[in-house]
Amino acid sequence: MTAPVFLLLAVLVVAAALTVVAHPSPVYSACALVVTLFLLSVFFVALDAQLVAVLQVIVYAGAIVVLFLFVIMLLNLTQPESRPTAGVPVVAVAVGGGIGIAALVAAALRRVPPAGAPALPEGFGDTAALARRLFTAYVLPFELTSVLLLVAIVGAVGLASRKG
Amino acid sequence: MKFQYVPVLIAFGLGGLVAAVFVAAGMFLGPRRPSPVKEAAFECGNPPSGPAWGRFSVKFYLTAILFIVFDVEVVFMYPWAVLFRPLGVFGLVEMSVFVLVLTVGLVYVWRKGALEWD
Amino acid sequence: MDATQSLRYFGPELVLTAAIMAVLALDLGLTARGIERSRWPGIVALAGAAAAIGSAVRLLRVPAREWLFGRMLVFDGFSVYFKVLLGLALLAAVWMSLGSREVRGQPNEGEYFTLLLSSGLAMLLMAAAANLLMAYLSLEFASLTSYVLTGFLRHNRRSAEAALKYLIYGGVASGAMIYGMSWIFGLTGSMDYAGIAAGIAQLDDPSRGAFFLALVLVLAGFGYKVASVPFHMWAPDVYTGAPIPVTAFLAVGSKAAGFAMLLRFFHFGVGAAGPVGAVTRVPLLQLGTLLCAATMTLGNLAALSQQNMKRLLAYSSIAHAGYALLGFVVFADAGVQAVLFYLTVYYIMNLGAFWVVMLIANATGHEDLPSYRGLAWRGGALPALALAIFLFSLAGLPPLAGFVGKFYVFGAGVERGLIALVVVGVLNSVVSLYYYVRVVKTMFLDEPRAEDAPVHFALNDLAAVGLLSAATLVLGIRFDWLLARVETARRIFAG
Repeated sequence: MTAPVFLLLAVLVVAAALTVVAHPSPVYSACALVVTLFLLSVFFVALDAQLVAVLQVIVYAGAIVVLFLFVIMLLNLTQPESRPTAGVPVVAVAVGGGIGIAALVAAALRRVPPAGAPALPEGFGDTAALARRLFTAYVLPFELTSVLLLVAIVGAVGLASRKG
Repeated sequence: MKFQYVPVLIAFGLGGLVAAVFVAAGMFLGPRRPSPVKEAAFECGNPPSGPAWGRFSVKFYLTAILFIVFDVEVVFMYPWAVLFRPLGVFGLVEMSVFVLVLTVGLVYVWRKGALEWD
Repeated sequence: MDATQSLRYFGPELVLTAAIMAVLALDLGLTARGIERSRWPGIVALAGAAAAIGSAVRLLRVPAREWLFGRMLVFDGFSVYFKVLLGLALLAAVWMSLGSREVRGQPNEGEYFTLLLSSGLAMLLMAAAANLLMAYLSLEFASLTSYVLTGFLRHNRRSAEAALKYLIYGGVASGAMIYGMSWIFGLTGSMDYAGIAAGIAQLDDPSRGAFFLALVLVLAGFGYKVASVPFHMWAPDVYTGAPIPVTAFLAVGSKAAGFAMLLRFFHFGVGAAGPVGAVTRVPLLQLGTLLCAATMTLGNLAALSQQNMKRLLAYSSIAHAGYALLGFVVFADAGVQAVLFYLTVYYIMNLGAFWVVMLIANATGHEDLPSYRGLAWRGGALPALALAIFLFSLAGLPPLAGFVGKFYVFGAGVERGLIALVVVGVLNSVVSLYYYVRVVKTMFLDEPRAEDAPVHFALNDLAAVGLLSAATLVLGIRFDWLLARVETARRIFAG
């Protein structure tokens, strides 16, 4: 990925993410989240992780944001201005903390010498290579995921189907 | 490697372009003479009966989260399908266990009546 | 070791998975017959937990130390010891639930026990995880089940609020943790702990700063699980809002599982690359010392003014996480041994305290301190006595088990030269005595007033409490038995 394309995407994705946090209406925030997640999937393509990019769109930009919207609707936030506004100290702490963390990360990264990126093996990141790892080396996490999803179903039914 | 996705990008671009062209053509070529009769909702929906952001029932949430769970399940089948033959019996057993556990989940949801609306 | 061979060493987890399925199937069967309430889901869960402990105890005798499932989990004395401990915590939580007025009588008991068993399963995996992916997956699994269990009480606003707070804090902590993990993977090129240790040895000097930052981020996730300052804020609200058996399980099981992960990661992933000072340029030891001192002090000071017993025990459990962190800061085998001993003792006395609180809540319907007034003189002499034993042990008074636990932790600290930290720990123990004794005074010395109704406790409800208080007394004197167990378990398999 060339630097100008990266910069353009980076600015867009940060702007979209800031919109998610800062927009007064939660529904618009959720829509901005779709944009953020979609742009992230472009980054994944650029990093040779095509399957992850596709899954990002299918699962996150598709399904999970829909769930977010349902939750927002469930909470009945009809008046966007009903959201409590954070006071100046809170915003100052948040912005200061964010800048601090960014500076820390930048300082840590500056110390790391830019090593020459190792050459990727043939077929890196394509679905077959990922599948080979997933179904051989990562059998246990894969099977565990099914139990996790089962428990998620049980938990969701338990929480959402309360009568009365 | 990533250039194999250029056609996808072109398809996205073409899709956007076609949509833009149609909208633009309607805007620029069509004559505009609005009248009350034309603006009535006729054979394209009802007059709105309340705000669009009404409160939703929790049932929608349950349906949505169940959709996500099974969506994630199906997602794991894409890589498995790609490597179906090389993985052989071991892969088949793995995927069967995975699907079996989630089938228990499906049966659970069904028998518990979580899919019924009332 | 590949997947099929690994199954031999995977007994407790397989048993629990089978138990989860059995409880679900039973729940479906009951629903089909239109039975709303039944004892059976709880009994099956109890049997499942007992079978898992049995399977783990059998593994105690297996001397093998192996990687399991490729390089996902490890099998060593350390993991099996924690599996037995966590299995016992699960068993106790199920047993408590069977006698809890909050849990019994809820129409979805099958779901409750399914979630409780799954939480136990996730914690067993946390104890054995030696791979960043497995560590994250098992930790999230445990968290997810805990959120739902915390919010399990219907129509109880506090329970729902606690679940929401838990979820939000958990989301932030696990986000920080997985970001740190991605840095570790990027710097060392490995996900399993042995590979990380090898990768650290090859890090050049400047990248160690970046690695330290990654460690701090990972520490956020672990710190949240063990409720250490500054990631402790969820604990008081969650402990107060959740049903008492769930609170006890979180306080005992979740904390032990978090410490298992913490110790394994820092002694096996990071520590194996040499003394900790050499691993990172910025000293991890100082950071750990700071966290430990802050956790002890804040937990104890906040507990001083609490009026709700669950909240008091929540702050006390934060303080105890601080004492156990002292053993962690030692960064040596002696420290691991002290933490293992301490967590075991903590299991017994804290569980006992929560159990008595539950029995009293069952009898009076209250959890606040004024409702304990003169409890010993209006029918509650035995539970009051048991609670006094547990609280004195938590305070660390001899000749109770808590004293021996603190003795070993502080001793390991002194050996390492952490004198200042040990002094802070001892001072904190003195402070903690105040609020523990206040409860005992309320129960024994305060006169019951006219509005305090007499209470009744069935003797068979007191069986478990009696067992735990006997263990607190016996382990205070015959601690060599436990020490021998802990000594064989302290060696962490290093790949």
